[in-house]
Amino acid sequence: MDLSLTAEQEMLKSAVSRFIQQEYPKETLLEMAETGEVAPSQPWRKLVETGWLGIVVPEEYGGEGGTFTDAGVLFEELGRGPVPGPHISSSVMGTFAILEGGTEEQKRDWLPRLARGERSLVLAVTEADYSWWEEDVHLVAQPSGDGFQLNGAKVYVMDATSATHLLCAVRSEDGNTVGLVIISADAPGVSTRNLPGFAWHLAEIKLENVAVAGSDVLGGSLNGGWDALQRAIAKTIPIMGAFQTGASQMVYEMSVDYSRARMQFGTPIGRFQRVQDHIINLVNQLDAARWTNYEALWKLDNHRPVQDAVHLAKAVGSEAYYQACNFAHEVHAGLGSMTEYGLTLHTTASRTLYHYLGDPRFHRKRLADALGL
Amino acid sequence: MDFEPRYTQEQEEFRQEVREWLKDNMPPDIVQPADPIDLTEEQYQKRRDLGRSLGSKGWLWPTADPQYGGGGLSLDHAVVIEEEMDTYGMSVPPYYDSGGRLGGASIMVWGTEEQKQQFLPPILKGEVRTWQLLSEPEAGSDLANVKTTAERDGDEYVINGQKIYVGSSLGCDMVWTLTRTDTEAPRHQNLGWFMIPSDLPGITIQPMDLLISGGEGGAGSGVKNTVFFDNVRVPATNLIGGENEGWKVATTHLELEHGTGGHIGRNWLVDRLFEYCKTTQRRGEPLTKDPDVRERLMDVYIEAEISRLFQLRNYWMRHSKANITYEGPQASYYRKVSGLRMSGAILDILGPSALTYDPERGAAEGHIEAHQRSAIVALHPGGTADIQKVIMARRIGIGREVRERAGELAS
Repeated sequence: MDLSLTAEQEMLKSAVSRFIQQEYPKETLLEMAETGEVAPSQPWRKLVETGWLGIVVPEEYGGEGGTFTDAGVLFEELGRGPVPGPHISSSVMGTFAILEGGTEEQKRDWLPRLARGERSLVLAVTEADYSWWEEDVHLVAQPSGDGFQLNGAKVYVMDATSATHLLCAVRSEDGNTVGLVIISADAPGVSTRNLPGFAWHLAEIKLENVAVAGSDVLGGSLNGGWDALQRAIAKTIPIMGAFQTGASQMVYEMSVDYSRARMQFGTPIGRFQRVQDHIINLVNQLDAARWTNYEALWKLDNHRPVQDAVHLAKAVGSEAYYQACNFAHEVHAGLGSMTEYGLTLHTTASRTLYHYLGDPRFHRKRLADALGL
Repeated sequence: MDFEPRYTQEQEEFRQEVREWLKDNMPPDIVQPADPIDLTEEQYQKRRDLGRSLGSKGWLWPTADPQYGGGGLSLDHAVVIEEEMDTYGMSVPPYYDSGGRLGGASIMVWGTEEQKQQFLPPILKGEVRTWQLLSEPEAGSDLANVKTTAERDGDEYVINGQKIYVGSSLGCDMVWTLTRTDTEAPRHQNLGWFMIPSDLPGITIQPMDLLISGGEGGAGSGVKNTVFFDNVRVPATNLIGGENEGWKVATTHLELEHGTGGHIGRNWLVDRLFEYCKTTQRRGEPLTKDPDVRERLMDVYIEAEISRLFQLRNYWMRHSKANITYEGPQASYYRKVSGLRMSGAILDILGPSALTYDPERGAAEGHIEAHQRSAIVALHPGGTADIQKVIMARRIGIGREVRERAGELAS
């Protein structure tokens, strides 16, 4: 038994940490939140150049071939920003979808380009009646030529506006099968717009007579696409959970620092047990997220049965980040809601990630199934 | 990272050895009562016999220093022994003994060489079982406020006072306790920590009537007691750590009791609950098919998993000598409050059948009913849930630049 990181992982952690501090200072993150301009941007280009975003791409396809735990270490640091951009949604989710469902030709075409950041492939599953269950995928793939034609919409898609390509879940004409197809984000008939407000880079995608070439159907057929997606999501979740863990850690550190610095009634506010309770609740959520996620990563690395651990990690990790931000707002009071302070960057991200790939309630249901109840 | 012990060929051979040995030495008719109070004298003695046999092999306290009666084995060997004992539903040691886990750890850090030689081998070999005597009527959460006095008289100390919520059923051989050795000195500089034979004249043990007796490891502790000291004369050589140094000695076992020891293993309550819900029908279907039941079962499961991981992390941190700060009281706090929340979920799922151990109308051979009671009683021993939060806040350094350090453990 050994719950420490390896020397290489410690090195990666500090290298990424330095990079984030240099390239993603609070001012940059606030500006990105204001404009919605995330990728391409100067820091994003530099992040791509490091090669880190290819961490889960196998070496034979031009990636780093890192372990799941390696990826967890990287994404924990990205979460501290929180760094925006199509990393979870494409570098991890898109990569695993290709690996799990793609033909050999699609792997050779896509994986090196995803690793080098030349393309991004963002997952688009949910629609107007938001859900991650298979039966709620309605967008029909109308056969056309050697491929399909799409008419409809995908809604609440994270990172769609910074993607070069979209991986859409579609239903066969007979209604029996849900598969995955790749479309270019700037193909004729595709229009994307960010949804305004408290969402973190969520967009609506409208599709009008969008053509899908036969070679852009994942795995060459709609059959098996949904199952491949489920396997890919299971691998993505604990890495995304590491992002949420790092983010919660940052929110925790901000809160502890503030409890020492802020004076009221002539004493640091952290001397009040009411304030202490918020921080203790926060660190309990944080550590629950940390260890459920790292155990799931370890199980993936060691080829153990992992389905229950994945649902547990998502249910706990998403709840944790959401609650961590709530507790931090209690500690910070008015200051926490001032945009320029930076806490709201996390609060905003926490709400969208709470739902991404299914909310805690969804995963608790799946957990009961996975446990054979 | 590695969430499991990795066994070498040699350790797998060790497992075979332990397994064979247990097959020959495990008493055949061990029973596990749902309520520890139902443990009979005969059952207790069987466990003590097993403890002595394990102790003679160095397997009772496997990782403790062999020059004081421990096994000198690695963490992974200790896990092997725990896993093999667990297949019989038993812990190591197989009975309640706060001497090896807590008091002995303090002696290891603060005792003189003579004291270590005198007190540790009998504990670590399972020859004596010890109780801890800490709380008093006026010293619960504020433990440093103990009023029991120890007055020096020649080569002896004379002890007078009262301890409460202590020990277990079926007696003990030694007790260890915290007393005042100076009635004038400031807090934390006025205490003495003693190891005391329990049969000295002037010691009276009176059982208490509580909602349930908590099971502190092993076979559960049975009842709790009030213990009276009436002019009990104790040799001065039984004072550990020196006069007025008792608080320092106590920080070691308090650190461990506050959850820093950690442990590994599964939660039998969850297994029993799942099994009950799968096999019990309501409206012609297993309970597990009811969406409300499934939702509450997940509440229980998730709390139990988080608690398991906190304990596992602490177990690793302690044995790998990682720098522990707030993690001990965090695991303790979480176990306490999640235990109570889990009992609420179980009451929702089972209804009033959770409240009786009636063989016909109760559930899971009385284990569920016992948990409804123990979830409440377990909130308080070893520091209340609120006290755990106070310690967490100091260790994290909430509102303070200087973080409180954890109690010192043996290296």
